[in-house]
Amino acid sequence: MSHVVLDRITKRFSGHTALNGVSVHVEQGEMLALLGPSGCGKTTLLRCIAGLTAFDSGRLTIGGADMSGVPVRKRPIGMVFQSYALFPNLTVRGNVAFPLTVRKQDRGRTKERVDEMLALVGLDQLGDRLPNQLSGGQQQRVALARALSPGPEVLLLDEPLSALDAQVRTRLRDEVRRIQHQVGITTVFVTHDQAEALAISDRVAVMNAGDIEQCGPPAEIYTAPSTRFAAGFVGNRNTLELSAVDGRVRAGGAFDVQAPSERVLAMFRPEDVELSRDGEGARATVDVTVFLGATTRVYTQVQVNGHPATVFADISSRAAAGLTPGDEVRMRVADAHVQVFPA
Amino acid sequence: MTRRVFLGLLAVYFGLPLLAALLYSVATRWTDTPLPDGYTLSHWINVFAKPDVVGALGRSLLLSAVVVVIEIVLVVPAAYWSVVHNPRIGSMIQTIAVIPFAIPWVVVGAGIQLVTKSVAPQLFGTFWLLAASTAAISFPFMYRAVESSLLAAGAVQLSEAAATCGASPMRTLLKVIVPAIRGGVVSGALLVIATAMNEFALAKILVGVSFETLPLWSARQFVSRTLGDPNALAVVTIFTFGLLFALSALVVWLGRGRVSASMGGNTIS
Repeated sequence: MSHVVLDRITKRFSGHTALNGVSVHVEQGEMLALLGPSGCGKTTLLRCIAGLTAFDSGRLTIGGADMSGVPVRKRPIGMVFQSYALFPNLTVRGNVAFPLTVRKQDRGRTKERVDEMLALVGLDQLGDRLPNQLSGGQQQRVALARALSPGPEVLLLDEPLSALDAQVRTRLRDEVRRIQHQVGITTVFVTHDQAEALAISDRVAVMNAGDIEQCGPPAEIYTAPSTRFAAGFVGNRNTLELSAVDGRVRAGGAFDVQAPSERVLAMFRPEDVELSRDGEGARATVDVTVFLGATTRVYTQVQVNGHPATVFADISSRAAAGLTPGDEVRMRVADAHVQVFPA
Repeated sequence: MTRRVFLGLLAVYFGLPLLAALLYSVATRWTDTPLPDGYTLSHWINVFAKPDVVGALGRSLLLSAVVVVIEIVLVVPAAYWSVVHNPRIGSMIQTIAVIPFAIPWVVVGAGIQLVTKSVAPQLFGTFWLLAASTAAISFPFMYRAVESSLLAAGAVQLSEAAATCGASPMRTLLKVIVPAIRGGVVSGALLVIATAMNEFALAKILVGVSFETLPLWSARQFVSRTLGDPNALAVVTIFTFGLLFALSALVVWLGRGRVSASMGGNTIS
C-alpha cells in the first residue's frame, strides 16, 4: 500500500483553482519531486500534505490514516522551508532539539538524537552557533536536521535549495539524496528546477495549472514525455510545427513519423539531432556555433514544408570542430526520439 | 555644510531647554544672569527626600509598569494573531490605532469618565481605570512596534515551521515568536513607558489628586507657583528624561549587539 495517497485533491483561492482534483501516491521510502513552473500548484499541494493549507475536497492519507481534520502539529511530517525558517533565538542544537522538546522527550534521549542528526548533516562542530552565524547551506542543513529529528514518517521539502548559490546547491542536492536514502524516509520535494528534480528523485510529477501532467521515473519523463507541456517544460527541446501528408510527417527528410492530426508539433531534443556533411536528412545551414565545453551547440536553419525554421543540435565539440557558419549540412533525428502532438 | 548647520540648529532647539533645566536643577540662584550665580546638588538631595515627590514618582513608575504588562499581555498576542492567522483584522486594528492620535486625550478622558460613571461607577477614580485607559491610548505604540517586528522576523514562516515541529500556538508564541521579536516588544514598551510617565490629561480627569502622578505633581508646582519648588521641578524633569534616555540607550545597545552578531557570522562557509 502506498505511504502517502492524495486522492482528487481540489483547492480554490477566491475563484482561482490552485489544485484541480490532483491524485498521486508516494511509496514507502520513495522520493517524489513535484516539478512545475511558478503558480502551477506544487507548493499548494505540499502545504495540503503538511496541513498548512486546507483543501476544499478530496482525501489525504499518510500511512493509511486519514488526515482530514488532523492539525499540522499532529501530522507525522517534517518540513523544510525555502527560507529555512530557523528559530533565530535558538542555537543549532536548540533548533534541532525543538521538536523533541515539544514532544517532551527526556533530556538524555534528546541530546543523543540531536548529536545523531547533527552528525548526519555534517554539522556536529557547529552545535552552539546561532542561525545568523551560519552560511545559507549550513542553515538549510540545520533545517533538514530539525525536520528529521522527531523521526517523522514523511519529509516535505519546499524548494529547499533555491535560495542557495549554484555550487552549494549542487553539493547540497546530492547530500539531501544521500540523507534521504540513509534514513529511508518517504519524501515529497517541490522544485521548479528540472535538473534538481531529475537528479535526485525516484519519480517526478510534472505539474501544470493545478494538475499533474505526467508522473514517472526521471528517465521516462525526459525521454518519453506524454504531454505537450511535459515535453516543453522538461529539458531543452526543438519544436517544429508541421503538416501531415498521408498521415505522416517527414520534416524534409529529417525524420518520418506517424501524425495524430493534420497539423502537429514535432518535438525532439538537441542531443538527438545528428548533423553530417553528406548522407540522408533535411538540408540545413549552420547559423551559429556555441562552445559549451564537452559539447557544442550548433544552431542551423532548415527548410521545413517550405518555411525556414531554426533547429539546434548538441554535438560533441570534437565533431563540431570543423563546422563554421554558412556550412551546408544534413540534419537527421531518429524517429524514436521524436514526440508528436496535435498542434 | 548645510546639513551640519541644520543638525546644529536642531541640537540647539532640543538641547537648550534640557540644558536650562539641568542648570536650574543645580543652581543656587538664577535670576537675570546668563548662567546661575552658583551650583549645588542640594535640590537633587532634597527632592528625593520629599514624600510627595517620591510618592508621585512611585505612582508613575507603578502606572508605567502595569500599563506595559497590560500592553504585552493583550497587544502582543493580538498583533501576532492579526499578522499570522488573520491578516484581515489587521486593517481594523490599524483604524483603531489612529484614534488616540486623532482625538485629543482630554476628549478621550472625558468620554471614558462619562461612560464609566454610567456603566461602572465603582471604577471611577481608581488606579485600575487610569491604567486601563492609559493602556488604551498607548496601544498603537506597542502594536506598531510589534507588528513591524513580526513582519521583519518572518513570523508567518516561523509559526508554520514551529507547527510542523509539533508546537501548539501558545508554545509557538512564547518560545519562538516572542524571543524573535524581543527588540520590537522592548521598543514598544519604551514608548508605552514614556507615554505613561508623561500622561497628564487622563490622570487629571480620571483620578485627580487621589492618585497624584509625576505630571500631576509637576502641574501643581506651576499652579501654586509661590508655594511650589521650581528647582525640584527641574530635578524631576531631568530625572525623568534621564531615565527614559537610559532605557532608550539600553534598547539601542541591545540592537547593536544583534546586528554585529549577524554581520560577523555570515563569513563562515
